[in-house]
Amino acid sequence: MGRRGRGMNTLLLLFCAIALIGGLYAGYARDPYAKLIAIGIIGGGIMPLIIVRGYVDVAAALALIIPLSTIFVLQLCKKGAE
Amino acid sequence: MSPEFFAGLILLIIGTWVTAFPRDREYLTRLINLEIPAFGLLLVALSFDETLALLTFIAVSTLTTFVLVLLIERRSQE
Repeated sequence: MGRRGRGMNTLLLLFCAIALIGGLYAGYARDPYAKLIAIGIIGGGIMPLIIVRGYVDVAAALALIIPLSTIFVLQLCKKGAE
Repeated sequence: MSPEFFAGLILLIIGTWVTAFPRDREYLTRLINLEIPAFGLLLVALSFDETLALLTFIAVSTLTTFVLVLLIERRSQE
């Protein structure tokens, strides 16, 4: 991989910050639905970090699998609300 | 080291702490909190360029979530 520019590094730090903010909020929130949304934010922060490294195949697999696990947990959320 | 390595470590620590001592002690809360350290470990594996480890870990963590969801459902029915 070639040398990254300064703007690129700033972008990477920004996406790391997005993932960290998502993690903090997922731990802090009490509502299960809010937690799931925060986990979506973590996914949004992680996806560009994977693509910058050149693992587009891993990113494609992750884009399929993250919503799948969200759907599983969502089933349980509905059951708990009833 | 790369920034994603440190972000992954911080996510691992936060997620483990929050899973061990959640704000309200329910199985659902712990299950959702368990996904935070999974993402942290994924970032650490990413910073070491381990493609196979990444793919395997993603698949297995989803499987674990599915099995735990089944278990919690069965337990709440009893």
